[in-house]
Amino acid sequence: MIKKTFKIPDMTCTNCAMKLESLEDTLEGVKKINASYHRFEMVVEYDESKLTDEQIITAVKRKGYQAVAA
Amino acid sequence: MTYKKRKSSIDPVIIVTLGVVFVSIAIALFVFQPNLTSINFASGSGVMSQLIVAFITGITTGGLSCLAVQGGLLASSLAHQFEQDYLEQAVKNKRKKQSSASRSNSAFPIFLFLVAKIIAYTLLGALLGWLGSFLTLSPMTRAMLMIAIGIFMVGSALRMFNVHPIFRYFSIEPPKFITRYIRRTAKGTDTFTPLFLGALTVFIPCGITQAMMATALGTGSIAMGAALMLAFTLGTSPVFFIVAYLTTELGSRLEKFFMRFVAIVVLILGFVTLDGGLNVLGFPLSFQNLTRNLIPSENISSSQANSPQVIADGELVLNVNNGGYFPRTLKAPAGKDFTLNLVTDKTYSCARDFVIPALDYYELLPDTGIVKVTIPAQAKGSRLFFTCSMGMYTGQIVFE
Repeated sequence: MIKKTFKIPDMTCTNCAMKLESLEDTLEGVKKINASYHRFEMVVEYDESKLTDEQIITAVKRKGYQAVAA
Repeated sequence: MTYKKRKSSIDPVIIVTLGVVFVSIAIALFVFQPNLTSINFASGSGVMSQLIVAFITGITTGGLSCLAVQGGLLASSLAHQFEQDYLEQAVKNKRKKQSSASRSNSAFPIFLFLVAKIIAYTLLGALLGWLGSFLTLSPMTRAMLMIAIGIFMVGSALRMFNVHPIFRYFSIEPPKFITRYIRRTAKGTDTFTPLFLGALTVFIPCGITQAMMATALGTGSIAMGAALMLAFTLGTSPVFFIVAYLTTELGSRLEKFFMRFVAIVVLILGFVTLDGGLNVLGFPLSFQNLTRNLIPSENISSSQANSPQVIADGELVLNVNNGGYFPRTLKAPAGKDFTLNLVTDKTYSCARDFVIPALDYYELLPDTGIVKVTIPAQAKGSRLFFTCSMGMYTGQIVFE
């Protein structure tokens, strides 16, 4: 398991953070996501053998946001 | 990477029909809002007028403001609920077309959700009213509360407009354990789930709801606090039907447009609340105090307008009506004490809560009668502002 921070500059409300955290339920390999609208970022704890940065960024994009690995 | 493909199963026919009905009611009430005073007074009850105002606040703006804070999450949660219902139904009816029974399942969770929300906020109102019975909100405390709420609302609106990243701090991030709990609870498919989710919304109140909670606190009565929050939450409920529809059916583009509209409404309300707070403080540079002389008095009968403001030597009259104070500007002699007669005649609006901030004077006037106030001598050219305790109705005494 590794923990990685992604900057999400286009979040517009606290609901965006909650939407991003819902990736916990749909993205295989993710253990925990902590997203913060105040910090414009999300911290993902995931199994790197099952998931890559690119896949996380793509998943975030599907939610309607841009993610940049910090 | 594995995705569960999601497809909304909210029946647009039911949601749109309900939405259109409720929006029509909202628009009708909004259009007739200027005549609200006559409705209030015909009812002959100050309590009733407060409840009507709370309901209309909910149906016109409260629902929109709540949408900005909690609507999206809850609509998504409900969508998930509907999806689960849909999938279960699909398994059961593999060879059958979707029946009308499954349609009613789509609307039922929303109904349960709203019922739970209404009950939870009513209980919260009762609790706040009970707590308020131990506190006395002085006009000054209320003014500071209104100013704080006004600033928060203006900041929230600027955040929604994306003016500057600094405004993102004008939002409250609910604790993670609550949002996580809500999200996980939303996966349930039983009847209990939407009920529970509806009750949980008390933990993520929007700005206007928080303002209404402050008002419930100020009532100092369990029954009144509960009734106020009940009326307000009933008013906000129709918007949640529309939220569910917008989020799941119309997509993000229209939702963004809708959010701009919400931002404008919240911005206007923020300025109104802020200005009300400044009025209660007796601040001479509030919008109402600055513009008083530019706008002619309205809602005043000719008999009142022409009535003499001096009734005897050293005494002045101020008519306290449902629409405010008349005349809005009183002229008084400088350098000597005088008596101000506050005259009410079937007055049930908040104009009865009369405040002169500079004198630290506060009095709840009788609905009909005369209350005498001794105004101490003031310097020539000075002004004494008076207002209702909500900062809605204002006026001034000019000393010359």
